[in-house]
Amino acid sequence: MTKLRQALAIVDWSGWLGAAIVVAMVGAAVLAPWIAPFDPVAVNIEDRLTAPDAVHWLGTDQAGRDVFSRILFGARASLAVGIGAVLIGGLIGVSAGIFAAYKGGLAELAVMRVVDAVASIPLLVWAIAIVGVLGVGPVQVGPLSLPNEVKIVVLVGCLFSPVFARVTHAVARRVVSADFVKARWLQGAGHWAIVTGDVLPNCLSPIIVQATLLVAIGIVVEASVSFVGLGVQPPAASWGTMLSDARNAIYSGEWWLPVFPGLAISITVVGFNLLGDAVRDLFDPRSEARTLVA
Amino acid sequence: MVLVRAVAGRVLASLGTLLIVGLALFVLTRSGPSSPARIVLGVDATVEQIRDFERVNGLDRSLLAQYGDWLAQVARGEFGRSFVTGRDVAAEIVNALPVTLSIVLTAFAIAVVFGGALGTAAALRPGGVVDRLSRFGTVIGLSIPAFWLSILMIRVFAVDLRWLPPGGYAPLSAGLVTHLQFVAMPALSLAVYYVAVLARMTQASLQETLRSDHVRTARAMGLPRRKVVVYALVNALPPVVNLAALSFGYMFGWALIIEQVFNVPGLSRALLNAISQRDFLLLQGIVFLFTAVFILANLSADLVNRLLDPRQRTAA
Amino acid sequence: MTAPLIDIQDLRVGFRAGGRRMVEAVRGISLAVRPGEAVGIVGESGSGKSLGMLAVMRLLAGGARITGGRILFDGEDLAAAPERRMAALRGRDIAMVFQDPQSSLNPALSIGRQIVDVVVAHQAVSRGRAAEIAVDALERVGIRDASARLGAYPHEFSGGMRQRVLIAMAIACRPRLLIADEPTTALDVTVQAQIVDLIAELRRDLGLAVLFISHNLQLVAEIVDRVVVLYGGKLVEDADVFAIEDSPRHPYTRLLKACVPSLTAPPGPLFAIDGAPPRLGAMPPGCPFAPRCPRALPRCAAEMPPLTVEDGRRLACWNPQ
Repeated sequence: MTKLRQALAIVDWSGWLGAAIVVAMVGAAVLAPWIAPFDPVAVNIEDRLTAPDAVHWLGTDQAGRDVFSRILFGARASLAVGIGAVLIGGLIGVSAGIFAAYKGGLAELAVMRVVDAVASIPLLVWAIAIVGVLGVGPVQVGPLSLPNEVKIVVLVGCLFSPVFARVTHAVARRVVSADFVKARWLQGAGHWAIVTGDVLPNCLSPIIVQATLLVAIGIVVEASVSFVGLGVQPPAASWGTMLSDARNAIYSGEWWLPVFPGLAISITVVGFNLLGDAVRDLFDPRSEARTLVA
Repeated sequence: MVLVRAVAGRVLASLGTLLIVGLALFVLTRSGPSSPARIVLGVDATVEQIRDFERVNGLDRSLLAQYGDWLAQVARGEFGRSFVTGRDVAAEIVNALPVTLSIVLTAFAIAVVFGGALGTAAALRPGGVVDRLSRFGTVIGLSIPAFWLSILMIRVFAVDLRWLPPGGYAPLSAGLVTHLQFVAMPALSLAVYYVAVLARMTQASLQETLRSDHVRTARAMGLPRRKVVVYALVNALPPVVNLAALSFGYMFGWALIIEQVFNVPGLSRALLNAISQRDFLLLQGIVFLFTAVFILANLSADLVNRLLDPRQRTAA
Repeated sequence: MTAPLIDIQDLRVGFRAGGRRMVEAVRGISLAVRPGEAVGIVGESGSGKSLGMLAVMRLLAGGARITGGRILFDGEDLAAAPERRMAALRGRDIAMVFQDPQSSLNPALSIGRQIVDVVVAHQAVSRGRAAEIAVDALERVGIRDASARLGAYPHEFSGGMRQRVLIAMAIACRPRLLIADEPTTALDVTVQAQIVDLIAELRRDLGLAVLFISHNLQLVAEIVDRVVVLYGGKLVEDADVFAIEDSPRHPYTRLLKACVPSLTAPPGPLFAIDGAPPRLGAMPPGCPFAPRCPRALPRCAAEMPPLTVEDGRRLACWNPQ
């Protein structure tokens, strides 16, 4: 406990700010149906394009929908895509990395070649192209009708996976060949016990760092894809579609329409970036050089 | 000799990756809900008409065979003729490419120059004003979506200040100043994120080399400060070069979104048209091109780093 | 008695350890070296020997800084000299070689370029002339066919050869003082002796004064005139090398001597000093060695013994041998 407190003492204010933003945004997304003052999709022509006031805190859009409520609901789409993609990418990447490091030989070579191939796919272009080909309609999986975002989550997740695979592979290889793991083998520990007991705990800190920073990238990707009309479909609220709708307001002067959704994205992404930096400083201060780009 | 073999190996591996990724793309573009024949001939077409169309265009052959044909075309610099518009895909790409390239290259130059300078300045004085400003500024830069920045810039520089046109494009042939007026905002908004990325990497890498033993030696031998910095920079460069190449590849993707905002007739418009018209041959051509650029950028980073590293350059 | 080339007076080096607390790692060391004299500085890691010499070069890093004292080089106080002046002195008048030759040369540049850069930084000569000086320096440190090897990169040399290159770089401008910070620790035992011999030879030929830092008393004794023993950031004994060898008086020096296995004596159990050096920031008020000292008296733990001078030997001990 004191150890944890000592470790947390080195987290500076920016790390705490990041954590606070992330908690607030996740809270807003989860609680949106209860805390949103208005129905995010309810059209109300009489109240259209009202500037921010006591009733509509962040104003209303062309259809008279409450911008604040739409931003709260938009947080759901953003975080669902960002976090969902990271979970999928993490699952695929971590398993692939551990599998490769653990098996070694030809299997390792093959898996890491695939990882290289996936890593050489430019994220956004493919996201746009593939959603474009498959269409923006819902995906039918058995009795379930999944919205278009699911495609994006899976796709972005797959394209995130090499990051996790490489990190995990590098750490896992070191762990697998370490003497203490050999000793555990000799003691008769099973595969599963070694993977969950020795390999995973050692990879965890770099994985968490990458995951936090990738959520930030995922959020921007979702907003961008939605912005060009290939993401979240109207009338559902998403920060990207809200900005797309707001493009005419650049000229007509309803400043609140382009400003608030953009701020929502930026603040959320700042939150995840600050948190990611803080987590990295906490776990592994020397790894600063491994900067992510998308 | 070792170097030549290593380079050849990397080139072949990149080519292999491109072929495999290209195949994945090929399969994906053909897995849409409706076949090209149905799109071109419409919902009323008979089964025979569709079969004829597919035979004439080679669509009845196996996917792998079709991919082989397509690759052979690409190798000759042809991307085929669109089923939908009847236009030559290669010509369409050649029309739109310079627009995108101009924006991306300008943005890349901005990112490398400013990112490198900012990161170097910050690394040279840890805890100084530049360091603190860059720490703060780069987090903001990493977090502002480029397309939102574009929207804000249009409002400020085009609508309010009227310094720059709000969108559109003029080629270089219209004069450098006119060209830059149109390219400035798209390139700048595209560059901001990468300035931040490269500044952070440059700073981290340079700070680490400045702490290294050989820099201490350089100082112990009394080299002037400028020379010491050069000594450190030479060794700090490889990870920055890698990230810059990666950035160059990724920039094309974000350029698509930004071109949309500025209504620029670049590859973005071509790609989104291809999507809305279900013109998969065009889409495939564009995405393949982007992927090739991405892989090529990574390959050249690798080769540049090999050249920078005497251990690999002189290995006999 | 000639005037000392370098006269370190009550040097103190400290750094910030968590918050505002300053921790002193070098706690008032005084030491003078005459031109051409070779002095060994001996002590365990943490004794302050490397930190003290880095302070002399003004190359302290990681938050460490000089907190007191003067470093008079030719009468000029280096502790107060501006960085520009230090850059001019380093490599030209005082040079330093370090422990790890593997990482101490710039891996991306040829050794010729690195030595030539040092020469042109200090002498108004063309790069062509500087290359001749570099070849000369390389040949002097025993690198054969030096002119052909100017274009070679550090990775093409073995560890011992790299240390020779570093020494060549250090002596290229004919400095008057060479500080060698454990130059042989990272090398094979056989190569160690060659490097020590080389430094002795250069000292003789070039009239260099040498400060040779080591944890190995035996090794240092082969080439130095005088040995300074440091413990816990304090100078505990300073005497002529023969006096240290034959009749060490500080219990720590005695134990240090016993730690090195002798090649001539019959093999017996290896000797090690019990306990660990005191932690920085938790220095006892008295003699830092008292907790481990076999001859410690009650007052040793309470009060730091003063440095006494007797027959040219300096000693800080309440109960010397």
